[in-house]
Amino acid sequence: MSAAERGAGLVELLVAAVLAVVVLGMLTAAVAGGARLLTTAGRRGEAEDTAQLALEALLFDVRRAGYDPRGVGVEPLAAAQASRLVLRADLDGDGTVDATSEETITWVCNLAARRLSRLVGRQSLPLADDASTCALGYLDAAGTPLAIPPGGLAAAERARVRSVTLTLALSPQGLARPATRSIRVALRTAP
Amino acid sequence: MRQGARGSALPSALAAVALTAALAAALADVARTELLLARARRTAAQALAAADACLARVVAGLPVGWDFGAALRGPDGVAGTADDGVLAAPAGCTATARPAAGAATPPTRLELTIDAQVASGRRRLRALVGRTREPGAPALLWLADAAALAPLGGGTIALDGRDPRDPAVRPWAAVAAPGDPAVLDAWLAAGTAVGPPIVAEPPPLAAIVARAAAAAGPGGLVGTGTPQPAITFVAGDLALAAPAAGAGVLVVDGALDVAAALDFSGVVVATRGLRVVAGARVTVAGAMWLGAPPGASPLLATGQVAVARDPGALATADALLALPRPAALLGLQDLG
Repeated sequence: MSAAERGAGLVELLVAAVLAVVVLGMLTAAVAGGARLLTTAGRRGEAEDTAQLALEALLFDVRRAGYDPRGVGVEPLAAAQASRLVLRADLDGDGTVDATSEETITWVCNLAARRLSRLVGRQSLPLADDASTCALGYLDAAGTPLAIPPGGLAAAERARVRSVTLTLALSPQGLARPATRSIRVALRTAP
Repeated sequence: MRQGARGSALPSALAAVALTAALAAALADVARTELLLARARRTAAQALAAADACLARVVAGLPVGWDFGAALRGPDGVAGTADDGVLAAPAGCTATARPAAGAATPPTRLELTIDAQVASGRRRLRALVGRTREPGAPALLWLADAAALAPLGGGTIALDGRDPRDPAVRPWAAVAAPGDPAVLDAWLAAGTAVGPPIVAEPPPLAAIVARAAAAAGPGGLVGTGTPQPAITFVAGDLALAAPAAGAGVLVVDGALDVAAALDFSGVVVATRGLRVVAGARVTVAGAMWLGAPPGASPLLATGQVAVARDPGALATADALLALPRPAALLGLQDLG
């Protein structure tokens, strides 16, 4: 048998195997790290988008609250609690506020279920899951936060509200830091 | 080494490169999507801000008055023409108006449609516009023109816009006038004023004169005793050489010259301005609305002038003679 046809010896095979394991391990770690990064980036993006969309929806709703073309006295805020807000508007100008349509919008922060929901009439639309913080606030004309009793603001206090705030933090599994957003929206009704 | 027995280094390296490239591509796609979303959000926010700004400018530009009949007639002021309902708007947006549902005739509430465009973003708003609750500009002195506002020249002026019922409420402006607020700032620096100046449309003096002339009745300024609230109308200049007091609405279709003391509770209107000579004083609980001949100062005071906010006096005046009000935003809808 010539030297070129001898094949590999046991030591060579073992060394090759160890080297292969090391290289494969490094490759696997690199690929797994990349995949984790990809997953985290996707989750982060989704959480940030969800939080932003929720705030934009609140902006949309609060801006139109109290729309009252017939001047019948539509109260913009029918309920104002730290975890619940009911907004009303006469969008079709018929002089009444329909409780089963977009004329009545309810926002609910349910921290027990880690969920922020928007109720259009009687239809509940979950806006954001994995909420670790979700708090509504109410400010007067001077920008001073109004103290919210457990039952929510009374009618006279609600009439003093000139802007609404929402602080929202979403903490989906796998994210080291929550996606946090806050917004302050001024009512567009005359004081 | 024998041909064909080179091991698996190359395939392994290629596989690693392929995997890494796939991951990098996926990450790039995520980043690109986020970038596009952020760009779309920025454009939408810019368009919304532009629409809000346009709306604020349009509402501020609506004439002070009682109804919106003139605004609905459009720039040519003639009803039934193509420009009916078209309002002056800043560049980049358009504004149209129509009477709000169920509004009286002439309408006291308008429905505005604002269409604003910024770069590739576009936003439409529907706004409900009415009149403010309190009459007049939220200012103690409301001037038709401040360009020729003369320095006090030895006189004193005290303007207190604080609400006596609730000091926490934002004080009224000392002066409201069209034009450059820097002129008002400089003028106010010479006096004592609580509350900054504001830019406002001029008071509709001609319409107020017409309404006061038609509604004025008995009563007026008194030399002694407590005056009863009334509409006091004077056609032409009014010169006061002896102390006088009054309440309600005093409308002088000319110049008001004070050479003694005038105490008034309510609204004082003088279409050709107020002159207070040295040693004289004017004290008003309410507001003063002053015009002036072209190029002349609406206020010449070598004596003392004091105006303090008094919501009760203003309400009494408003009950006697419906006073004009600026336009105010009552509600809003985003149309997308």
